[in-house]
Amino acid sequence: MRVTSILLKVLMAITGLAWFGFSITHLTANFLILKGADAFNGYAEGLAKFGPLLWVAEAGLVLLLLAHVGSAFRVTRMNKVARPQGYVVSQTRGEATLGSRTMAIGGVILLAFLIIHVKMFKFGDWSGGNGLHGLVVRSFKNPLIVGGYVLAMIAFGLHLSHGVASAFQTLGILKPSWRPRLKEIGFFIGWAIAFGFAALPIATFFFV
Amino acid sequence: MKVTLKVWKQNGKNGQGELKSYESPDVSPDCSFLEMLDLVNNDLESKNQEPIGFDSDCREGICGTCGMVINGVAHGPGHGTATCQLYMRQFKDGDVLTLEPWRATAFPVIKDLVVDRSAFDRIIQAGGYISVGTGAAPDGNAIPVPKENADLAMDAAACIGCGACVASCKNASAMLFVSAKVSHLALLPQGEPERERRVIAMVEQMDKEGFGACTNEGECEAACPKQISISNIARLNREYWRAKLLEQPVRVEKGG
Repeated sequence: MRVTSILLKVLMAITGLAWFGFSITHLTANFLILKGADAFNGYAEGLAKFGPLLWVAEAGLVLLLLAHVGSAFRVTRMNKVARPQGYVVSQTRGEATLGSRTMAIGGVILLAFLIIHVKMFKFGDWSGGNGLHGLVVRSFKNPLIVGGYVLAMIAFGLHLSHGVASAFQTLGILKPSWRPRLKEIGFFIGWAIAFGFAALPIATFFFV
Repeated sequence: MKVTLKVWKQNGKNGQGELKSYESPDVSPDCSFLEMLDLVNNDLESKNQEPIGFDSDCREGICGTCGMVINGVAHGPGHGTATCQLYMRQFKDGDVLTLEPWRATAFPVIKDLVVDRSAFDRIIQAGGYISVGTGAAPDGNAIPVPKENADLAMDAAACIGCGACVASCKNASAMLFVSAKVSHLALLPQGEPERERRVIAMVEQMDKEGFGACTNEGECEAACPKQISISNIARLNREYWRAKLLEQPVRVEKGG
């Protein structure tokens, strides 16, 4: 089968929406941090009990991410080749957004963040007291880590502010009457999730 | 009124391009933008200098031949208009206007502001035929078409293939053009028999020509002189993966 630009975009949209869905469940679980060590550690241990099922889910997430990054990489390359020489005077008609113009570089930042994030918590040292909750709270007392997290979540908000609406447009599954609202809804949901994620390290830094 | 033009001068697709400055003669604000360029060229020719190469034909916004990027915007500052529908009153006396050709690998420069848009023709060709009865004119309403679909197909058919969507897209993507052409026929019963084959062939040709992919920004829709909606792009995407799911292996019949 010939891999066309639309197939690559559809793959990017489906994998992106899957990660968007995962980020919502992740955010919901994160709020247990504020409830206390028992609630949060209990949740983490509950997940670990799934054993092989959890590994399958994790491997699935990694595969989805690889497909997302891979298709993004190919599409970005294709786009660069399509316009090697830019305009001397360049102007938009106001439809382009900061999010839509930074999808690639924002994606690279998010990928770097994800690797650091997984290494810091999932494969971090849980033995320093209070398990994973203790590790998270100790990490979020470090202003550098909190700052880095907030910056990464700004990148995430930008990425989602365009990506969510764009994915639905790429799949073409919504009625055209949704279109005017789609951009705004995607923008709002994207930033709401990013703010939710950023709120936790900030709240932990100041209040826990 | 007078304007200063900074025009992209380039010989052929492999030529080294650069901006060159020209002063317009004193023109009426009611002069059309292309007439102003004609006057500049008259001036240049009378001085035995090379005129500015630009494309135009009908000069009433229906053929899609004219088109250039004016101060970074495809077809200039108008909304829902082609370059030929611009008038000098839309600018100010003393304005500096930078004129550049559509920039895309798939649209090689022929000369200055003139680009080769035959990639669009090849996409149309790849779409192939539709099944309509030839012969005597058909009876009116012999083939019922829902009013809504007729309207959507007509809106899509308004595309004049000027290439402003490609020019204004950060990825030089032809998705708005292809989506208009695919939508136009996919919405009508006359286009139904070849519906799947057509969309796959046109998308594959689009990629082969070297156009980019769609970021769903909507800059194309804002630049389109016929205001083709990017809802057509959503339809194209849907038509494409639907066709891929329904795709049958090509059946080879034995010749006689």
